[in-house]
Amino acid sequence: MKGLAPLFLGIFGTFAFSWIGLTVVPNWQIGHLNPQSDEEGTDIYPQPQSGMFERGAHVYAANGCIYCHSQQVRADYAAADIERKWGNRRSAPRDYIFEQPVFLGKMRMGQDIANIGARAPAEQASPAPAGAAAPPASPSGGTSPAASVAPQGGAPAAGSPSPPSSPAPQGAAVSSPPSPAPSSSAKVSAASATSPAPNIRAAPTSPVPAAAAASASPAASPSPAAGAPWPVQTAGEPPMYSAAWHHVHLYSPRNIDVDSNMPSYRFLYEKRRIRDTRSADALQLTGSDAPPEGWEIVPSYDAKCLVAYLMSLNQSHPLNEVRSVGGAPAASAPAGSPPASPAPGK
Amino acid sequence: MTEEPKSPAHIGQGMDYGEQADVQQVHAAVQREKREPRVGAEPLSIWLIAIYGLAVFFGGAYLGRYSGNFTGGGLDPMGAPPPAKKTAAGPGGGEQAAELSPHDRGKKIFAANCQTCHQVNGFGVPGQYPPLAGSEFTNGGSRRMGMIVLKGLQGPVKVKGQQYGTAVMQPWDKTLTDQKIADVMTYERSDWGNSASPVTAEQIAALRKELASHPESFTEHDILAAPDQDLPGGAAPKPGEAAKPAEPPKPQG
Amino acid sequence: MNAAGIPIKEPAISAAAGDTEQLERAYIDASTRVPVLMFYTSAMAWLILGTLLAGFVSFKLHSPDLLSDISFLTWGRVRPAHMNVMVYGWASMAGMGTAIWLMARLCRTVLRYPLLLVAGAGFWNLGVLLGVGGILLGDSTGYQWLEFPGYAAIILFVAYTLIASWAVLMFRYRRGEQIYITQWYLLGAFLWFPWIYAAGQLMLFVVPVQGVLQSAVGWWYANNLLFLWFGAIALGTAYYMIPKVIGRPVYSYHLATIGFWSYALFSSWTGMQRLVDGPFPAWMITASIAATILTMIPVATVGLNHHMTMQGYFPLMRYSPTLRFTVFGAMSYTVFSVIGVLISLRSVARYVNFTQASIAYSHLGLYAFFTMVIFGSMYYIVPRLIGREWRYASLIKLHFWASAYGIGLMTLMLLAGGFLQGSSMEDPSLAFSESVETVLPYLRGRSLAGLLLTASHFIFAYHFGLMLLGLGRTSTVPTFLNPVEAEASGGH
Repeated sequence: MKGLAPLFLGIFGTFAFSWIGLTVVPNWQIGHLNPQSDEEGTDIYPQPQSGMFERGAHVYAANGCIYCHSQQVRADYAAADIERKWGNRRSAPRDYIFEQPVFLGKMRMGQDIANIGARAPAEQASPAPAGAAAPPASPSGGTSPAASVAPQGGAPAAGSPSPPSSPAPQGAAVSSPPSPAPSSSAKVSAASATSPAPNIRAAPTSPVPAAAAASASPAASPSPAAGAPWPVQTAGEPPMYSAAWHHVHLYSPRNIDVDSNMPSYRFLYEKRRIRDTRSADALQLTGSDAPPEGWEIVPSYDAKCLVAYLMSLNQSHPLNEVRSVGGAPAASAPAGSPPASPAPGK
Repeated sequence: MTEEPKSPAHIGQGMDYGEQADVQQVHAAVQREKREPRVGAEPLSIWLIAIYGLAVFFGGAYLGRYSGNFTGGGLDPMGAPPPAKKTAAGPGGGEQAAELSPHDRGKKIFAANCQTCHQVNGFGVPGQYPPLAGSEFTNGGSRRMGMIVLKGLQGPVKVKGQQYGTAVMQPWDKTLTDQKIADVMTYERSDWGNSASPVTAEQIAALRKELASHPESFTEHDILAAPDQDLPGGAAPKPGEAAKPAEPPKPQG
Repeated sequence: MNAAGIPIKEPAISAAAGDTEQLERAYIDASTRVPVLMFYTSAMAWLILGTLLAGFVSFKLHSPDLLSDISFLTWGRVRPAHMNVMVYGWASMAGMGTAIWLMARLCRTVLRYPLLLVAGAGFWNLGVLLGVGGILLGDSTGYQWLEFPGYAAIILFVAYTLIASWAVLMFRYRRGEQIYITQWYLLGAFLWFPWIYAAGQLMLFVVPVQGVLQSAVGWWYANNLLFLWFGAIALGTAYYMIPKVIGRPVYSYHLATIGFWSYALFSSWTGMQRLVDGPFPAWMITASIAATILTMIPVATVGLNHHMTMQGYFPLMRYSPTLRFTVFGAMSYTVFSVIGVLISLRSVARYVNFTQASIAYSHLGLYAFFTMVIFGSMYYIVPRLIGREWRYASLIKLHFWASAYGIGLMTLMLLAGGFLQGSSMEDPSLAFSESVETVLPYLRGRSLAGLLLTASHFIFAYHFGLMLLGLGRTSTVPTFLNPVEAEASGGH
């Protein structure tokens, strides 16, 4: 090449092509999305995070959680993410519009956690991302009478598919037991005072309704049955994916799962003497990691923020542009097919 | 460094920093180097051009096929482009929702709220969720149906000769507006082979006021105690339907 | 003189009556000495630090309780620290060092304004130091390859401005009509890097784009860094070293042209290949996959060009360290690209996404291709700056084989492990922890490969240190890897 000018132009032009094509044009297309809201202007999803959640996101970034955990659910035609109950629908660009930085992740040495907040037990979840009004919730199988005699309380070890029946505060999420399926974040209608189970948004792929409730209630021992490859709820541990569970998991991952190779984040916790009584925040640890008599482990503020952030990770709210598998489907799917969902329980 | 006897004086432990000015003594390394690289001019093989053309062609075809029409909403590479019309819940979709018929609006509401239990085909789940297709409640007067939808139903109930009772239907009065309840009832009463009168929002509003003092959900007994009539103020009956409107037909609300 | 015209004995002519071209080159070499050695020495230091961090990263992955309670040694911080030290500390500085020398030689002008480069190197080192410190102390931004906190990034940018200004000035003063192939690549690299770096910083941190676009911009940046900064420097270097060492012209100008332009056009579009099946419009991902497939055009072109240039001269690899490293690197470029295509296809990405296979891909590009070519260039350039030859051929051989086996083993382990990990993840009847169990033995194998690489780098650092101290061999004959017979056809 003889001339400098054509060289410069070419270098500039070929690169401008990619810069415009891959960053500018997508910015025009999906760079200014609004959250989805229904006709009344309530039920807005997603909502911006602030406060502890935002700080928690920074703790997440600073400690490199992104190098082992991803936060994107792939479509069911592309991978087995949904079959693994990591979500009831694929992730869409609208899910991330208020995230900064965005933690899509590139590696799964640990599970995908896009919906980990959705799997928290009811009384522990952080306010769900939707708006104030009670949503068009659909009853799930939790309305069976078997549910009404289901054991209450934290440890869903009995595996009954019913959520705790006391009207949980608005915005609490409901969990199914560890084995069958994760629940979606739910808004409990206050009107459920009389019914044995609160109104919850249908659990995503919950094999919930008929079959599970009727036949499986007492048994449902959380074993990794087909389609439910979750780690099992270990006896003595806090309820799976509750805040207490997250703290134990961060402090001592091998306490939860002895085969885990997640590093422990003890520097996020403090060990101190028990004053008059055990503090409410103290971690419930067993085994060799438990502090000696008279001492307790409490989370630092950063740890609390991180766990608050984790508990807010919830993409189960249906989106119109994406088809939800099971449960409340979106009104239309990208392929223009009529709203269809596999009949749960059938 | 060369090994010639008269090397320049240099300071240091053998580093040649001192010989900046003495480059007359050219490094042996430089001396033995080949000349600077130059380029030959072999012509391109025609086969190479053909292969490149093929590669570009297939690359372009792949791009065209799997790009979801290059829209921002097309997330599915194999899918058709997303529907141009936004749905009611999307931003700016409100006015489009109004263009839909009550039946279609009702269908969406049904899909979002009722389908999980009553199933998309309206058959329900045996023993648990009563069917809506061909049900005497759905096809009968809108009053009984309205009572059930507004306030919910608990306890055993017999529908189409089958007994149901293991599930509880939640009340929808707090969750759905009058218009939405009317639409979904209209849909249910006209789909799956049902043919009963449509329901208007005003009718539901009136029923809601009537039932305002009734906090709990109904039982089958309560429902059957109510007259099997359409709610007052309804629209003109569809041809061939069984329900008896209590008043002269009014235009559909 | 032997058949190839290489003096393996003392030169018969004296310098005074020597070739003016030789004199010119000698002047140029002398003028590049301080800046290039500054870059190389810094790069070596970062290489050692990065290698130690890498060992840490690799071992902690399968032995997580190693030193886990210290906040600045937690895996999630050491991993980005390693990546950034290698990318901005070792690779960028060594690449810039080589690029500076090549620019000076090819512009056929002595290096002017060395202070710009010295200041640039100093600031760059400062930036990397602050950045890595920031990451370890908890200021990582969370974007892969862009983890440096803002205060470090700005220093890097300032440093780069100094270096780029120098490059522009050199070009202004160049002599000769033709712009040789290497210069296209180097010019491209020097222009593309500030653009992608500025775009990345602006679009992610200063005026952030919304939502998932941040991830798209992040990976657009990362891939462009790999291809348009490192890849361009390495390809340019190979285009110089191979014909220079064997003394033959590059096979075809037309192939070189097509290779360069198709490389520039297609490689920059491949960013989304790391986000296949992610929450993006399908066309972005498809465009990247199509572009990755189309990068086979420059790969084939450049490969053909080099191959035909080397035709009949492959035995020279037995003797010349530079040739050996460079050809290894150039061949790895082909392997790296082919694997890139394979793992980007949606049907394969299904199994390979989110696994260790993407680590294999990154390391193939950064180490097997870029670093090996740079090693080769350092073996060529350093004697010309220092005035000594490399002292121990055995150390060079050890360096080569340890690196080659190390990266080969690592690639194999991570690719195989990654595929198995992905297949396990795709089977929903298996618990997730099964996939981790499956890949663990391969991670241990990777640690073993890491030991080889660590050994290799320490050997090279030691050897380089000897050269810096003036303890190289004084000789007119280069350090051949194997003894050259009198009638051999090889040499520098």
